Amino acid sequence: MAKESSEVINDKASTRPLSQRLRLDLVAQRLALVAVAGGVWWLSSLSVPHYILPGPTRVWDALRLIIANGDLWNNLGITLWRVAVGFVGAALIGLPFGILLGANQRAGEFFEPVIPVLNTVSSAIWAIFAIIWFGISNATTIFVVFMTAMPLIITNVWQGTRTVNADFIELAQVLRMPRRKVMTKIYLPTILPYFFSGARLAFGFSWRVSLVAETIGSSSGVGYRLRQAADLIRTDQVFAWTMTLVVMMATIEMGLLKPLETYLFRWKKGVEMS
Amino acid sequence: MNVSESIDRTGNDTTQTPPAIQLSGISKSFANGNQTIEVLKNVNLTVPPQAIVGLIGTSGSGKSTLLNIISGIVQPDRGQVCICGAASEKFNDWCSVSYMFQDDRLLPWRTAIHNVEFALEAGAIAKKERARRALEALQLVELETFAESFPYQLSGGMRSRVALARSLVTEPRILLMDEPFSRLDAQTRALMHEELLRIHQLKPMTVVFVTHDVTEAVLLADQVAVISPRPGTIREVVDIAPARPRDITQSEVTRYMQRLRALI
Repeated sequence: MAKESSEVINDKASTRPLSQRLRLDLVAQRLALVAVAGGVWWLSSLSVPHYILPGPTRVWDALRLIIANGDLWNNLGITLWRVAVGFVGAALIGLPFGILLGANQRAGEFFEPVIPVLNTVSSAIWAIFAIIWFGISNATTIFVVFMTAMPLIITNVWQGTRTVNADFIELAQVLRMPRRKVMTKIYLPTILPYFFSGARLAFGFSWRVSLVAETIGSSSGVGYRLRQAADLIRTDQVFAWTMTLVVMMATIEMGLLKPLETYLFRWKKGVEMS
Repeated sequence: MNVSESIDRTGNDTTQTPPAIQLSGISKSFANGNQTIEVLKNVNLTVPPQAIVGLIGTSGSGKSTLLNIISGIVQPDRGQVCICGAASEKFNDWCSVSYMFQDDRLLPWRTAIHNVEFALEAGAIAKKERARRALEALQLVELETFAESFPYQLSGGMRSRVALARSLVTEPRILLMDEPFSRLDAQTRALMHEELLRIHQLKPMTVVFVTHDVTEAVLLADQVAVISPRPGTIREVVDIAPARPRDITQSEVTRYMQRLRALI
C-alpha cells in the first residue's frame, strides 16, 4: 500500500522539471526559426520589385493602414462569423447524425457510401454551386464551410461510436441505468475525443475553404480583401492579410483548442506528454 | 413489503428471517447455431442472510450464468429466483443487489470518486449526497487519498478496490462477484480477500462469488456450492466450518480443499 502510493508520487515529481527544461529549449529554437525566416525574407526583398515581394517594413505599413481604417477588424470579424456559423451548423448536424449511424447498424450500412462521396467533392465545386444557389451573400461562404466540415465530423463521430466498450454498457445495465443516461454517461464521453479531433480538422479546413468561397462569392471578408489586393497589385496588403490570418489561426489552435483538448482528455495516459 | 406479509401470515413478529436468495428449479439453455446448449438444469440453492457463499465448478459449468440469473441480467427458462423473499423482478431499495465484474471495469475518463458515484447515478440522488456517499465508500476501502486520481494512475489492486467501493456505495444487501480478483497477482489477491472479509464484518451482507479457485473458495466462504459440468446442477453444498481468518497451512482447511477438489 505505502509502496504503491510512493511510486505514484515519485512518478509525477520526476517528470516535471525535465519537461519544463525541454519547453524553454523549444521556445528558443522557435524564436531562432522566426528570426532566420524574417532575415531571408528581408534579404530577398532587397533585390526584387516591391510588387513581387514587398519587404517587412512595407508589409508592416500596410498592416498598420488596414488596422487604422478599421478594415482589418471588420473583415476578420465577418469571416470569423461565417466560419463559426457554418462550423457550428456542421457540428450540430454531424454529432447526432454520426451517433445515429454508429448506433443503428441499418442506417450505418445505408449511408456508408454517402460519406466518401461527400468527402471527395472539392470545396471549389461547393463554392460554385453556392454561387448559383445563393448568389453573392453570407450564405455562400457558410454553405461551403458547412459542406466541408460536416462529412469530416460525421466520419469521426461515427468511428468513435464504434469504439464504445460493450463492457461499460453491461455495467450500466447491471446498475439499471436508463437508456438516456447510458447515452450521456457512456456513449458521449467515448465519442468526445473523436468528435474533438474531427472538429479540429474541420475547423482548419473551414478557414481555408471560407477564403476560397469569399474570393469568388462575396463582397466582404478576408478572402474578398485578398482578391481585391491582388487585383490592385497591392502585394504588401496580400502579405498583411495573410499574416493576420496565420497569427489568428495559430492563436486559436495553440491558445484555445490544444489546451482545451489537453484538459478534456487528461484522463488519457500520456496526453500531457505530447 | 413481502416481509410484513409473511409476518402477517405466521402471526408473530418472529426473528425467523427469509433466506437472502432462494433459487428453485432454475434451468437455462442458450441457442448456439441450430443446437441448444443446456447450461443449467434444475438448480436449487438457498443462501442464508449475511452468509458468504462460493460457487465453484469447472469452466463452462454455468456458474457465471447462475450469477447473472441471480442479478436479473439473464432470465431463466424455468424456475424461480427469490431475493430476500421478493421475486427478482421486483427488487426494492431495502434489498439492493450489487454486481462486481471479473475486471475492474472503471470508466477511464472518470476519477476514482466519480467512478464510485457512477453506481448512484442511475437513480435520482442529489449530487451532494452522491459525493458524500462515494467518499464514504472510498474511505471504507481506504482509498480516499486517491479520490481524484484517474484509473490509469492507479495500480491493479487499487483499481480493484475502487470497483469494490463502487459495488458497496449502493449499500447492497447482496453482493454478487464474478471471479472478482482472478486478474490480480497472488499477493494482491490475498490482500483483497482480507479487505473483503474486513468489510463483511463491518457491514454484514450476503456475498455470492463465483470462482474456479478452490483455495479462494475455502478461505472466504461459509458455504461452497459445487456445480457439475454441463448441464450445471448443484452437486453438493459444503459447509466450511473453521472460523475466519483461515490459513491454508491449517490441516482442517487443507482437508476441505481436498474434499472440494474431489467433488469438482
